[in-house]
Amino acid sequence: MREAIGTADLAILVFFLALNSFYALLLVLSVPEIWEQTRLADDDDFQRLMQSDALPPITLLVPAYNESATIEASVTALLTLEYCNFEVVVVNDGSKDDTLEQLRQAFSLYEVPRTYPAGIATRPIRGVYRSRTRTRLVVLDKENGGKADSLNAAINASRFPLVIAVDADTLIEPDALLRLTRGFLLGRQIAAVGGTVRVANGCTVQHGRVTDARVPRRFLPGVQVVEYLRAFLFGRLGWNRLGGNLIISGAFGLFRKEYLLAIGGYRTESVVEDMDVVVRLHRYLLRNRIPYEMPFIPDPVAWTEVPDSGRVLARQRERWHRGLLAAVWQYKTMLFNPRYRRVGLIAVPFYVFGEALAPLVEVIGYVITLGGLFVGAVDVTFALLFVLVAWGYGMLLSLWAVVLEEASFRRYGRLADLGRLLLYATLENFGYRQCTVWWRLKAFVTVFTHRHVWGEMTRKGFEADSEQVAAKGLRG
Amino acid sequence: MRGRDFLVVVALVQGVLLGALVVLIILNRWFRLRRRARVHPRVVALNGAMQRWALGTVDLGTVLVHLSRLPIPLAVDALVSWSARVPGDRWRNLATALRGHWWARIVRSNAGSARWWKRLETARFFAVAATPEDTSHVLKLLRDPHPAVHIAAVATLERLESAALTTAALERLPRLAPTVGAYYAGMLRRSRPVVVQLLQKMLRKSDDPALPRLVEFAARLKEPPLRERLTTLAAHADPEVRIQAVRAVGGYPHPDSIAALRRAAVDAAWPVRAQAIRSLGMIADPATLPLVREALRDPEWWVRLRAGLALTRFAAPGRNVLLEAEVGGDPGARDMARLVLGLTPQALAEYAA
Repeated sequence: MREAIGTADLAILVFFLALNSFYALLLVLSVPEIWEQTRLADDDDFQRLMQSDALPPITLLVPAYNESATIEASVTALLTLEYCNFEVVVVNDGSKDDTLEQLRQAFSLYEVPRTYPAGIATRPIRGVYRSRTRTRLVVLDKENGGKADSLNAAINASRFPLVIAVDADTLIEPDALLRLTRGFLLGRQIAAVGGTVRVANGCTVQHGRVTDARVPRRFLPGVQVVEYLRAFLFGRLGWNRLGGNLIISGAFGLFRKEYLLAIGGYRTESVVEDMDVVVRLHRYLLRNRIPYEMPFIPDPVAWTEVPDSGRVLARQRERWHRGLLAAVWQYKTMLFNPRYRRVGLIAVPFYVFGEALAPLVEVIGYVITLGGLFVGAVDVTFALLFVLVAWGYGMLLSLWAVVLEEASFRRYGRLADLGRLLLYATLENFGYRQCTVWWRLKAFVTVFTHRHVWGEMTRKGFEADSEQVAAKGLRG
Repeated sequence: MRGRDFLVVVALVQGVLLGALVVLIILNRWFRLRRRARVHPRVVALNGAMQRWALGTVDLGTVLVHLSRLPIPLAVDALVSWSARVPGDRWRNLATALRGHWWARIVRSNAGSARWWKRLETARFFAVAATPEDTSHVLKLLRDPHPAVHIAAVATLERLESAALTTAALERLPRLAPTVGAYYAGMLRRSRPVVVQLLQKMLRKSDDPALPRLVEFAARLKEPPLRERLTTLAAHADPEVRIQAVRAVGGYPHPDSIAALRRAAVDAAWPVRAQAIRSLGMIADPATLPLVREALRDPEWWVRLRAGLALTRFAAPGRNVLLEAEVGGDPGARDMARLVLGLTPQALAEYAA
């Protein structure tokens, strides 16, 4: 018994060391990457670019489901982005409220015949509308089919070679499209690009724009600011150098349309369509030996509202993890497959062992350690030290994300906000992290029972003066 | 070393690192605030001096003194931002005066730096303050392997007329990725005489795979000496060349252009037809109205759209054709006429762009 516990403890220790060494590698790699990205972001002369016709035209794909309260402001904000050539395709995904009517009145829509080919099969389209006042706007009205289906319908209707999937409730910074296309201007062979998603809770929002970035005072949204910084600023930047970004946020990611069409668009069966589509893109491009890059660029920013109640957050994290488990199972043949190069040999194994299985290993670790302590197989001091080191390492990574933010973009200018960031980075490991492990653990059960259940999310409006609470499906 | 000792060491190292990170974050914030407090007044002073110099109330020396008080990256930023606001002659005086200035010499010497961001800084400086003596440096930066550097360097063409630089940029243009190529093209348009001369030679190589890109660029120039060659290329075997040439020909209201467009309007490839109809609309010769009316019944939606938009450029006769089509028997033409007649003038302008 004692030997078995000792062996299991050793195995968990090795897992812990390997995983954290990899995080350390990502951390180190993020430094030159953010250095380069910050330099490029600072030196770009965006006004000059906006006056040139060099930038590639873009279609924004905007799925909308029961967005009646905010759709006019969201679409107006999208239509006034600083970019020379783009269109916005809004898809009313069979909303039960008057989303379409709001759009019709706000933008003077008129019905036009559907004249584009349906490259990807979708739920039936009920109507295609154009605007008399905003020629950049196209609205599709279709039967409800979910976010992936709406995105596919929007891809079919899009005119331009680059498409950006945007959530209707996401606030995009005015110059974000310009920044997102920097890779194209630098002549890189971009298949997809991801931008940063930041937490809008607590920020001042006026006319669909974040005018004053703040770190929320409430713990739950506040701690998610640190999580988002960690995920984007050092996680994805580190992956840039390893050539294997497996996630481009569904709330704000740019794709080359021809590749999306080649893989058949978004999979409607997938729970997390953003990871699914990126993995399939990697697979398609590597199988066909098409040279490509899928970078993450940190300075284009989209703001999104995160859950501020434990119940909603629990559901979100369970769903994300369920989607991750389903995706790694779906694409298991890529694991350690040299045909998929760094994606198959580094990225997929990391997501399987370091992300998908991590909560399981962590809980097993806690159980075995407690069991070991009970039967006297584990030294108490050793166990406490181990937990201390594990939590300390988590704090180190979170603080490193704050360092990167401070050294580069510094969106949170006030000292009070910096103080809150440091506080949340410290407190995150005491209670919150264990909760996320538990929520993610539940996904191991629900992955078999709730394959396509998204759950309900209660969102509060962004604008300070709009108090309406919109109950809606959580979409990405 | 036992496991417990190892963990103690790791915990201690982590503790030190955590403390160091917190101190680093706080120090970084403090240094930035301090630096800003020190530098900001100098930036304000420079802006004031620049403004007064632009109005002619202070001499150039004052501006140079204020520039030299700023850290080099900020001085380059200030130059970039003021370059668009100061009249050309006056700005050229500043560029010449900067030749002998100590910090400008440092910036120039970075043209050969091993660090790309230093070369980028130099390229940005040259983009606003290069003099003819800098041509060799700019040429080197134009051939830089880092895209950000050569893209910044090509902006020098806006201010410095040099056949060598123009030739280098034009030769690189067809090999660049489309977006970068389009940016280069925007810059090259400023050096028309040299570019037109070079293009005339390059457009004669009809088997050049870069021909579509060159024709696309030539179309933007709308230079009369290029018309004849572009009209010939409207019958090229490669549809991509035909599309670009037909688009270009629309910028030349000439009988030869109209003849070439009449042929292209019945091309087998619909993108060529769409482009030809668009160009016919740009020229708006009443004799071509029946051809455009016919295109309103084209099987391809995009050709019909182009025809509908082109008809709006034929004034009353074009509008009458649309009104007839709106109640006519052809469903494709009817839908398109309805769409185009429903558009506001602003929408029409946006579509036509």
